[in-house]
Formats: sequence, C-alpha cells, structure tokens
Amino acid sequence: MNSKGRSLADFRLAILAFFIFLVLFIYSSLNLKNVDLGYRQHELLLAEKTLRLEIDSLQARRAELLNLERMEKIVVEKLGYQYPEAGQIIKVIVDDNE
Amino acid sequence: MTMNSNRQGKKRFFVLSIFFFIWIFMIAFKLFNMQVLDYTTYMAKVKAQINRVEELHSKRGTISDRNGEILAISLLSKSAFISNKDNALSLVVFKKICALLALGNSQKINVVKRIRRGEKFIWIKRKLTDEEYLQVKALTLSKDAAGTIDFIDEYRRVYPQKKIASHILGGVGIDEQALGGIETSLDTEIKGRGGKLKVLIDARKRIFQFKYIEQPVTGRDIHLSIDAALQFFVERELAAAVDKYRAAGGAVVVLSSRDGQVLAMASNPDYCPENIWRTPLPVLKNKAISFLYDPGSTFKIVLAAAALENRICSLGEMFNCHNGVYRVKDRQITDVHPFDRLSFEDIFIQSSNIGAACIGQRLGEEKYFQAIQKFGFGRRNGIMLPAEENGILNPLAKWSGVSLAFLSHGYEISVTPLQMAVAFNVLASGGFFIRPNIIMNDTPGGSQARVLSAANQRRLTEILTAAVSRGTGKKAGIAGLEIAGKTGTAHKVKRGQYTRSYVASFGGFFPAHDPQVTVFVMIDEPQGLHFGGDVAAPVFKAITEKIMLYLKLFPDMPGENEIRI
Repeated sequence: MNSKGRSLADFRLAILAFFIFLVLFIYSSLNLKNVDLGYRQHELLLAEKTLRLEIDSLQARRAELLNLERMEKIVVEKLGYQYPEAGQIIKVIVDDNE
Repeated sequence: MTMNSNRQGKKRFFVLSIFFFIWIFMIAFKLFNMQVLDYTTYMAKVKAQINRVEELHSKRGTISDRNGEILAISLLSKSAFISNKDNALSLVVFKKICALLALGNSQKINVVKRIRRGEKFIWIKRKLTDEEYLQVKALTLSKDAAGTIDFIDEYRRVYPQKKIASHILGGVGIDEQALGGIETSLDTEIKGRGGKLKVLIDARKRIFQFKYIEQPVTGRDIHLSIDAALQFFVERELAAAVDKYRAAGGAVVVLSSRDGQVLAMASNPDYCPENIWRTPLPVLKNKAISFLYDPGSTFKIVLAAAALENRICSLGEMFNCHNGVYRVKDRQITDVHPFDRLSFEDIFIQSSNIGAACIGQRLGEEKYFQAIQKFGFGRRNGIMLPAEENGILNPLAKWSGVSLAFLSHGYEISVTPLQMAVAFNVLASGGFFIRPNIIMNDTPGGSQARVLSAANQRRLTEILTAAVSRGTGKKAGIAGLEIAGKTGTAHKVKRGQYTRSYVASFGGFFPAHDPQVTVFVMIDEPQGLHFGGDVAAPVFKAITEKIMLYLKLFPDMPGENEIRI
C-alpha cells in the first residue's frame, strides 16, 4: 500500500471515529438534556403545588379575617357603628328629569 | 539508528495497542455482562434505588356561598408521629412535646404506653396548626431529638366562618370522612380521588423523571345558594329568640321567592363544623329539614288555597264560628278568641280554628288531600342535604271522622319547616310549587308546577297581608313594607300524644305586591309566651329588617325620610 492509499484509509478511519463520536455526543447530550428537563419539570410541578397551597392558605386567611362575627365586632365595638333602627333609614331618590 | 528507533516505536505501539484492546475488551465484557448476562439482577438493583411510587392525596373541594365567600376549604398540614427507634429517647422527647402541644391526659398515657411497648409508629398529634408545626419542628431540629419525630402531609378541613351554616356544611372527621351536611350528601363529588405518581430519583434523592400511574382528581368546588351574611343575621336572630324564650331550639328558612333558592337555613342549637365529631347527636340535627311537628294555623294557607281553587267559598262569605267551641264527633275544637260569625277572609286573618274546620268540611276530604299533596307535603323536597324527612301525611283511607276538621287547622299532619317555607313560597312565586335548591351549580328554579291560579294567589296574598296589618301577625309588621304572613301555634306531639308544650311559627313573604324573599320561622317549645304571633312573628320582623337593608329592599318611606336629588 502506498502512502497515498494509507493516508486515505487513515482519513476514513478518522471520519468514522468522528461520526461515532458525534452520534455518541448527540445521544448523550440529548439524554442529559432530557434528565435536566426532568429535574426542571419536577421543580415546576413542586412550585405549582406550593403556589396552589399558598393561594388556599391565603384564601382561608382572608375568609377568617372577613369572618362576619369578627367584622361586626370591629364595626360595632371599635368603630362605634350601629344598625339603623326604624325611621333612621333615608331613601334617596335621584330624579332623572332634572 | 533510525531503523532501530522506528522498529522500537512500532513495537511500543504494538504493545500499547494490545493493552488498549485488552482494556477495551474488558470494559466491553463487563458491559456485556451487566447489560445482557446479568441484566435482570442489575436492573432490579437500579429500579430499587431510583424508582419510587408516591401516593398523591386528593384535596376536598372548596365550599363557598353564592358570592364566593369561602365556607369550607382544605389546607395542607403536618401530622406528627414518633418513629420509635430508641424507647428512652422517645420518652424524653415526648415529654418536651407535651409542654408544646395541648394533649389530653388519656392521650399522653396512651402514647407513653405505646412507646414502652416498643411500637414503631405512634401518632402524637394529627393536622397540626402552623404554629404547632413550627414549635415541634424546632424541637426536632435539636440534636437531642434528631430522628425521633417525623411528619406526614395531610389535608385539614378549615371552616373560616366558624359556626355559620354549620348544619348546611356538616363537617368531616379526622380522616376527612364526611360526617354530615353537604359534606356528606355531595361527598363523592367533593372528595375527589387520590392518585399515584411513579418517580425516578437520583443519588441525592432528587426526582428527575415522573409519570402519573393514576392521575389525581381534585374534589369539585361547590357553590351554595346561601348568602353567608344573611345566614349570619338569621342565625343570630334565631339564637336570640331561642335564648329569650328558653326554647328547646328552632329553625328558620329563607328562600328566594322567584326561583326557590335557599338564601339561608338556620337550625338551633348549632355547632362548630371543625368539632363535629365532638358534637352530641341531637345538636347535629338540622331542624329545618329533620324536625317534624304539627304546623297548626300556618297550614291554613293550604286550606284557603284549596277552597279558592275549588270555588267552594267566595270572598266575604260568612261562616258560623260557634262562639269559640265546636264539637266534631267526640272531639272538641276551640278558638283562642271566640267569634260568633266571621267572613272567609277573617277566618284566616283572625286564625279561627272553628271557621277553618267548617271550610274544610265543605271542601271534602279528597279535594283537600289533593291540595295538600300539590303543596308538597308528605314527601321530601329533595334538597341536597342528608336526613331530610318526608313528613307524615296519612293516606285518605286512614283518615278518621275528625281528620278533616283537624287537618283544616294544621293537626294530624307532620311537616318540616322547609316544607312550610316551600308552601308559603307557592303564594310568593305567583302560585307555583318550586322545588327548593341549595346548590348554585344546579339549574336555577328546579322543577315548577302551578298549584294556584294567579287570581287566587293575589286574593290569598291580600288575606295574608291583612293578617299582618290587622290580624294575628301584627308583630311581624314593618312600617311602609307590605308583608304577607300567617302565624301558627300548635301543641307538640310526644310519644304519640299532644302535650302542653308548643311549637310557635310564622311564615311570610315580602314585599307582598312583588315578593322577593320568603321566610319561615319555627321556635320549638318556647317558655312563657307560646303563640306564633308573640314568639315567631318578632323573629320574622327582625330578620326581615336585616334582609331589607342587606338586599336594599327599602319600604315605601313616609315623606320625611325621603330625599329627592
């Protein structure tokens, strides 16, 4: 085999090696990317769950703060408001003609 | 020299290549061994290390009122348990926990016994509040207690409005099992379904891949037709009346006149849904749908409707009221206020039992029975709550010679307050029997059937308006607001016998000319005063005043309280 033929064979080998490397590289990269996305997906799932729980918790807290007994206590005892009695209600009529 | 070095180089390259190929071969062999020959063994090891199946708990749906105010919601909480690896250490840590958590004595003794027995899983307290969890967590982080206490996630049902609408909501037990109310009747929809998640974890126990084996289904959110604010007012007025008259209890039903939606439904005594499992059974009873009683004079509206529909009487026709005492076979019917003669309208305005008996006898058993059935008595209304009673309406074949006369003024029949509210709503809705509903998601209005002609409905409304303005229901009257209503007072039946205990009631609707709201009030065994007009009518008035303000149903004001701009 002359040197020209040998260098062609080496070149083919190099191309093959590069091709194998490329396939393995792409395969492992995709695999790693897949695993990475798996982590990310689970993180997002957890974050969504945490946010949902937080929303529930805040809604419950809001409802507790708006508890009617509590509100009435604040309005009557702290702010000094009273329920209107008969005759204390004033009806306001908006006359559209004027 | 050059030839020698070339040969040596080739030799070195050859040896190196051999080593390299041996190395590659060994790796390839090992891989082949792992991947092919011992595949099952290694795969099992990998699976055991990285595969895990996680149970996903279902979350109960949220229950809210018609305005979206939350009445029941599930929050994630922690439950603490002792993983008893060292008895002595567990006892020491448990002592410290006792100082942090409010635990009952019997529970403390039980936990100590179980620790000493060497049990490996012992609950300390389930569904801790956030404050309790932080305190216990801080303790577990200390070196002395490390690894002794552990936590499990569990949902905790929270009722932010506390006692409000307790009988409608019901409640759940420690394992989220429904124990009453809407929680029970819609349990299958509210509770949802748990799921399973298959996860792959890495060496640091982080999940890098997951797949649902069973997708969890969150429970359905329920929107009730009740209004939490109205429910609050109603419950408070009812409680005040029960307290004032030292009554055994009571119930109030508020319906939207047009579509039969329940705006409020109160039962007294009440309870806190979070403590339902500690509540005595009689308190759990929703008197609005489960309390059976003879309605007394409020039932005369059915008689009046039947008489007008069958045209057996005309307005203004006079009836002999026998001066307060009337015998029917071997039984005696009396009036509280004796009357000689009363017109058809006045029989209902003044609530004459004798007059009603006379009208009933003219109407006849069959026609009256049909009318009673059309008003929905003797069967459940089908409201979405558990333990609703049918009521007791004897079939015609079982009626005795006096049944007609007694049924005419509301005896020999047992009804629930809801059935009476629905009967009053027939008049308020323009003559239609509308099945009540308590769920907003349901078709509004439910089924409707005409029971009364529009003309007779108007006539009857006028009679009931007069009953409030100048009859037995005066104490329900509000200046400037037309209210149609009827009082009722009846002896209570105990062990099949009428007793000296009473049930006072009042049913009505307003504004009479364009009804928006129907209210029925029942007070069980009031002490001191016992007439519906004295006991129940003022409760109706108090509730109506609040509803007016809340729903902005202002009465036609006298001139000085009116401003034109």
